[in-house]
Amino acid sequence: MRPSSLSPRPRPATGEARARRRRSGADSAHGATNPLLAVRLPAWRSRMLLFALFCGFVALAGRAFYLQGGVSTKFLQRQGEARYARTLDVAATRGTITDRNGVVLASSVPARGIWAIPDDVDSGRRDLVQLAQLLDVPSGELRRRLSEDDRSFVYLKRQVEPDIAQRIESFNLAGIHTSREFRRLYPEGAITAQLLGFTDVEDRGQDGIELSFERTLGGRPGLRRLIKDRLGRAVEDDWVREPIEGRNIRLSIDNRIQYIAFAALRAAVEANQAEGGSIVVLDAGSGEILALTNWPSFDPARRDRMEPQRMRNRAVTDTFEPGSTIKPFSIASALEAGVVTPRTTIDTAPGWVRIGGRTITDTSSHGVLTVEQVLAKSSNVGTAKIALQLPAQTLWDTLTGVGFGQAPHAGLTGAVTGRLRPAGTWREIEQATIAYGYGVSVSLLQLAHAYLVFARDGDIVPVSVMRADAAPPAVPVLRPQTAQAVRRMLELAASDEGTAAAARVPGYQVAGKTGTARKLRDGRYSDAYIASFVGFAPATDARVVIAVMIDDPHGGRYYGGDVAAPVFSQVAAGTLRALQVAPQGPALALAATEVPAGGR
Amino acid sequence: MQIRITVAALAALLMASALSLVTSQHRARELFADLEAAQLLTRQSEAEGNRLRIELGRSSQPAAIEAAARQLGMRPIDPQHTALLPPAARPPQP
Repeated sequence: MRPSSLSPRPRPATGEARARRRRSGADSAHGATNPLLAVRLPAWRSRMLLFALFCGFVALAGRAFYLQGGVSTKFLQRQGEARYARTLDVAATRGTITDRNGVVLASSVPARGIWAIPDDVDSGRRDLVQLAQLLDVPSGELRRRLSEDDRSFVYLKRQVEPDIAQRIESFNLAGIHTSREFRRLYPEGAITAQLLGFTDVEDRGQDGIELSFERTLGGRPGLRRLIKDRLGRAVEDDWVREPIEGRNIRLSIDNRIQYIAFAALRAAVEANQAEGGSIVVLDAGSGEILALTNWPSFDPARRDRMEPQRMRNRAVTDTFEPGSTIKPFSIASALEAGVVTPRTTIDTAPGWVRIGGRTITDTSSHGVLTVEQVLAKSSNVGTAKIALQLPAQTLWDTLTGVGFGQAPHAGLTGAVTGRLRPAGTWREIEQATIAYGYGVSVSLLQLAHAYLVFARDGDIVPVSVMRADAAPPAVPVLRPQTAQAVRRMLELAASDEGTAAAARVPGYQVAGKTGTARKLRDGRYSDAYIASFVGFAPATDARVVIAVMIDDPHGGRYYGGDVAAPVFSQVAAGTLRALQVAPQGPALALAATEVPAGGR
Repeated sequence: MQIRITVAALAALLMASALSLVTSQHRARELFADLEAAQLLTRQSEAEGNRLRIELGRSSQPAAIEAAARQLGMRPIDPQHTALLPPAARPPQP
């Protein structure tokens, strides 16, 4: 290769070249003779140019190194990523809530949120009318929302069914978009409404189990980086943060018993024209809540119709003065302390007694009663006389031992402590009234929980709304003999001799106590009553404890034995059948006469 | 000569490696697309399963069963219509 042939010869001519040109082109008419070309350029100019070019390249190389070689690479990387990478939120599905047998009580299903960028929407389009129809929103309302100038983003409707969202997407309306979200469904509706609570549009728990187990159910959404090719297809991915799916929880609730309780409660509240009511059903062995229901209730699917007083989980959040249902604890305390025996006689005549300037009365004069009969007849005078033989602290210890004055740790929101003042502050009259259920306040859940001590042999287990695999450790409160003695009295109370004959369940022996307490309104006792019944069945070897509370019955009857006891009977009968507890005694004899008649 | 052959062989190797890289990249993307489709199907099936479980819960609701039973002319059990067989009366097992 001859470099001379290709490399441009420097233009400024040398002396030899000029001589050659003169020789060959002396007669030439143009060009070579031009005197301008003969000007000799200084050599520094070309070097200067060369140097400038060199500097230019150095600057370019420097800039390239600056941008790509690790000094400041962020900008270009960000620009590049903006063109092919997408970061997506990956929603975590909220856990499912099931009952103890695995029946779904709450579950999340995919839904869509429909939103718009008002500036991009052509509000003259006729499709908007169709959109309004699909969204079940008046089209005027839709146009109004789209014409709000100051907003660049507006939700048109949330939690829309996916197939409706798909139809909206098929219109291809400019400025209308959809986003993924979840919708919470509660198949049991009003039956479990207050117990389960509800979630907000973002699928976060707001009340009830949904709120108290938010951390378990909620999960955490993930972030995923996707690399897309030029056609927009995802070709690679990378988890910035993996989503953590919400965990499922299994409650101790049995949906069959929950329904039995709900149906019986609703019927009773309506029949007695009561303000409301609650039922708690506990498993006597494990302390698990088998049913917890309130009426009035609400449909969690109809958010627009929710009213605060329907949403309260009354059995847990409302306290009331328990009245006579607390008497068994006062008597148990006296038996435990040895101040009385079940056969000790108490003179309740003439049906009233004055203590510290106040009068305690019975509904009628019962005369001389044994301790057993005091409970069966529900004598306030008798109970007060028994309780006053005790040191206040002893009674307080028993009441506290069974859980009064402490919020039950059942995993439910809004569980109240109730009111049980320290024994040191009790005056004589207070000790007497507390013994028969005034001057102390409890929630229905606390009351049901406390009766575990009689249903079991004097010990107590914590209540729980979660299904327990193993029975929790029991805490002894009373001697087994005391618990058994009170249990016999409670059987008597729920027999023909007692105040709660209506609580009987054919085929089973039941035990329990009625309560009828005046309601406190603005600090004074009013003419409104709370009728209650707490009991367990079967009386010996109890399987369930059932507490019924009917608030302010107006149907002409207000005694616990007339209003609440029949509800107990219905719920106990249904529950024992659902739990397949074999009936005892009289029912078998009854059946024996029925069997030959064609097996019906 | 020796060097030329080596260079040619290396060039061929480089080419082959480049081609295989492209092929495997393409294959990876195809598999990724399949995986995405499968995962979408999983999510859809899960959602569908969930929906069906809810449906099952709804239809096995005691309230629904009771309403259906009443339509069929059935009524709640009461003690008058309950036959209880003592264990001894159980028919002998075949």
